[in-house]
Amino acid sequence: MMQNAIHIDDLSFGHHGAEQRAIDQVSLHIAAGECVALLGPSGAGKTTLLTLLDGRLRDWQGRVSVLGVPFEPNRALPLEKRAETGFIFQEFALVERSTVMRNVLNGRLGRMPGWRALLGNVSKSDMDIARSALSDCGIADLADRRVDSLSGGQRQRVAIARCLAQEPKLIFADEPVSNLDPSRAADILTLLTSAAQARGATTVFSSHQPELARRFADRIIGMRNGRIVFDVATHDLTDDATAALYDDTDPASGARLKVVS
Amino acid sequence: MRSRNLGGFWAGMLVAGVVLWSLITTDVELSRLLSAGPRIADFLGRMFPPDPTVMDEIWKGSAETLRIAILGTVGAVILSVPLGILASETMVSATVHRPIRTVLAFIRAIPLILVAMLMVGAVGLGPLPGIIAVALHATGMLAKFYAEAIDGVSRAPISALESAGAGPLLRLRHAIWPQMAPVVARDTIFRFELNLRESLILGIVGAGGIGFYIQTYVRSFQYDKAASVTIAVVIMVIAIEGINVALRRRFA
Repeated sequence: MMQNAIHIDDLSFGHHGAEQRAIDQVSLHIAAGECVALLGPSGAGKTTLLTLLDGRLRDWQGRVSVLGVPFEPNRALPLEKRAETGFIFQEFALVERSTVMRNVLNGRLGRMPGWRALLGNVSKSDMDIARSALSDCGIADLADRRVDSLSGGQRQRVAIARCLAQEPKLIFADEPVSNLDPSRAADILTLLTSAAQARGATTVFSSHQPELARRFADRIIGMRNGRIVFDVATHDLTDDATAALYDDTDPASGARLKVVS
Repeated sequence: MRSRNLGGFWAGMLVAGVVLWSLITTDVELSRLLSAGPRIADFLGRMFPPDPTVMDEIWKGSAETLRIAILGTVGAVILSVPLGILASETMVSATVHRPIRTVLAFIRAIPLILVAMLMVGAVGLGPLPGIIAVALHATGMLAKFYAEAIDGVSRAPISALESAGAGPLLRLRHAIWPQMAPVVARDTIFRFELNLRESLILGIVGAGGIGFYIQTYVRSFQYDKAASVTIAVVIMVIAIEGINVALRRRFA
């Protein structure tokens, strides 16, 4: 039953015109139901990896399959297959002028018939799903408020509700709390990981804060310069390993060696 | 330092040369200015008092000008929605939006009065050529504004909808449109004001509206009637501008 939610073999990707690869020969398996943190400094390739796994990048090399669907390297994932994976953005990515409810319903768009989605003609069941996502995120009372009147923490709750309304089997969260203050950050990650667990969804979130990764993930993958530096169960993660991940002077961490060669 | 002074000198010479050329080659008899004073006084004297008996013509002409501006704006909006989408970097690739933008720039470069003359030739006298001319002329600007409104929205919500499985049309409807709507409203009202001002002169080439009466009265030396119509035009422009300012404040 423990099948792979994510299966990556020898994946490489370079942004157009960039000298260094954003992802460099990465291989990785994540089992269904796992909660994994991607840890690493800015520019490590975390966002690129998550965006690629979300099916929004093309022209990469290697083999990738997500939720049993093999990706094609030279084209983005077909739209109808995207609803299965939810994505939470660092900058919330909400439509600021729309209401909270409208934003959460946007998460349903990939699962509605085309004409309904275009007309904004929402069925009762879509509405119920959106409402329960809102109450799971503790913001049922904000449904009619416009997003631009909300605080950062409330906005990220709306974004999580939008993701949950999508009923995803897999949730990617790209630095979901780095725009929030520390106490809000822990609240949001608690909400995200427990909502995912309650739904049996696999979760992969990226962070540059080791303590948050330790607290919320079962498994931590360290990335630097597009490569995986370590991949361990959370209780096996040593302070030395995290220190090396962020150390700019340590030649063993990889950066210096690459520059020299 | 020296070369910069020299550059300034040549620039000055160039400007002086251009002005002199214009002055010499145009038939400017400064002596005519001397006799202009009494003539203008005579002209103004014949305008006063403005003839109030032309109220019917004023109402008829103003209403027609207003209708031309309204229908011309509607036509421009209808043309600008698809063209604006096709001129936007966000929605289509460079092979589509570049040529469309060039066409729009070309349309913008043709003065309204010229389009109106062509249309009068094509469909005959009356408000119809005026409406078509306003619609075509305004599209050059409005479609560009719409494209800029599309390209000016925040990209992150578009990615979020893409991630949720929404196609380009759904992204336009649910992520782009809510962000661009106030800009579109503001730009459309602005263009309507311009359409109204510009369509005041359409009557001169026979394309309908209040300009027809100004033209007729001036040509037939009925300056007092022309004065009444001119006052009506000024009031109309000021009123529309006032309404426009008030509306734009709402969308700020």
